[in-house]
Amino acid sequence: MSRRETSFLLIPGLALLALAFLFPVAHLLGQSVLGEAEDGRSVLTIAHYARFFVDGYYLGVAERTIRLSLVITLVCTVVGFPLAYLMVHGGPRLRFWLIVVTILPLMTSVVVRTFGWLVILGRGGLLATVLDGLGLAERSFTLMHTETGIVLAMVQVLLPFMALTLMGVMARIEPQIEEAARTMGCGFFGVLRHVVAPLSLPGIVSGSLLVFALSISSFITPGLVGGVRLPVLAGSIYQQVLGTLDWPFAAAQAVLLLVAAFTIVIPYALLARRRDLAR
Amino acid sequence: MVGGVPFIARALATVMVAAIVVFMLVPLAVVVASSLSASEFLVFPPRGLSLRWYQEILSSREYTAAAWTSLKLACVVTVVSLAIGTAAAIALARSRFPGRELLVGLFLSPLVLPTIIFGIGLLMVFSRYADGPSFAALAVGHVVVTLPYVVRTVSAVLEGADRHAEEAARTMGARWWQRYWHVVIPQCRGGMLAGAFFAFNISFDEAVIALFLRVPGAETLPLTIYSKLEFSPDPSVAAVSSVLIALTVLLIVIAERLLGLDTLTR
Repeated sequence: MSRRETSFLLIPGLALLALAFLFPVAHLLGQSVLGEAEDGRSVLTIAHYARFFVDGYYLGVAERTIRLSLVITLVCTVVGFPLAYLMVHGGPRLRFWLIVVTILPLMTSVVVRTFGWLVILGRGGLLATVLDGLGLAERSFTLMHTETGIVLAMVQVLLPFMALTLMGVMARIEPQIEEAARTMGCGFFGVLRHVVAPLSLPGIVSGSLLVFALSISSFITPGLVGGVRLPVLAGSIYQQVLGTLDWPFAAAQAVLLLVAAFTIVIPYALLARRRDLAR
Repeated sequence: MVGGVPFIARALATVMVAAIVVFMLVPLAVVVASSLSASEFLVFPPRGLSLRWYQEILSSREYTAAAWTSLKLACVVTVVSLAIGTAAAIALARSRFPGRELLVGLFLSPLVLPTIIFGIGLLMVFSRYADGPSFAALAVGHVVVTLPYVVRTVSAVLEGADRHAEEAARTMGARWWQRYWHVVIPQCRGGMLAGAFFAFNISFDEAVIALFLRVPGAETLPLTIYSKLEFSPDPSVAAVSSVLIALTVLLIVIAERLLGLDTLTR
């Protein structure tokens, strides 16, 4: 393929990404460090960031966001691992239906899925009705406006990402390795622990990074399930952008969100890489 | 496999599969169930059985206008994203040049960046350098987030396609448009179909960018649902949501028939 042809094919995409992706993100970064001096000129400032760190409210919001995201990631990993294993090792029919069960919610709009959770978790909702029927709780029982409710709804939204990522990695493990371990006298659970789990580690890492990044930046589900009493960082940013119209402060928070995602992501990725090399 | 699977593992697996199916599907099922309610209010379990809320949404200007906006948006986004993404994927798969890896990373990077950050950036840029959010702005935003899917699916089929076919066409004297029309595009077809599936589905369902770039009077369907959920959900929201679920099921069935499910999970 000639150079001219290559550039001709690439230019529309590159132009779009430069103008509509890199530029807006750079603009956001810029806004977060720009302030207005007394004479009206723009100056560099860290005031928007400082405001975040001196306010106990925002620190509390950040703490809740990170804590919830860690719990959601952990639950997704614990549930996603056996689910992915079944997708790879179950028969073709089981595999087909598990993929359907995973893809259908994934492809459904997040507002629709969250709506379902509102009906389930609300006062007099499905969960309360079932628990009432079993004699475990009153009909007025509700998980709306609780962190448990947020975690439940978010895990349903994000589990597909973990399961599909893990499935891709597990499918590439040579079956002979597992068979060899069995022949050598390793039990079924032993193989899971000593063969499948370590070999799926890259999948566990990339799956949980994805889930963590998605959950730390979600606000539609946490906002609707948690309500105003349990604000998360992304929800607070959304408020500042469209409610109070404080864009520089929103930009600073957005940058902090990105930094939070990456500071947790980078050491984790490095750690996983080192373990990979050590083997 | 040697040794077989112990009974306890089989039992655990059965319980898990049942639990996961319930957990993943019940939130969708309750939406459909609520939409069939005959009552004025959103109550669970639904009282009575009727299709009145479907009648309601069909005669509601608000919902039909939003559905129209969403449909137009998804179609525009799919076409533009396919055109740009397929071109880029062909170049990335078929030619070798320094910095190619970097460009592949760049084309996939909208997948990694949290959508909220991109959404705010886009809102700021369009407010500063244009007349604020518009249908076109939203379409641009959706093209950016759907582009990686098209690039990925088209690249995947090109990796497996015969690269010599194109060379052969060239040596046999095919013009550039004949080469693309008769060889390259047909080779991309499977990937383009899968890419179109993702682009249409994502654009039709997307709510975050749409929320930041909301245009008063021209809201998309997910946004209309979101606003109702924030304020006063009634069974009509359940009916619209059920329509969205049905559309997703339909798209998955079509994609499964044309491409097989495994293409969608890569």
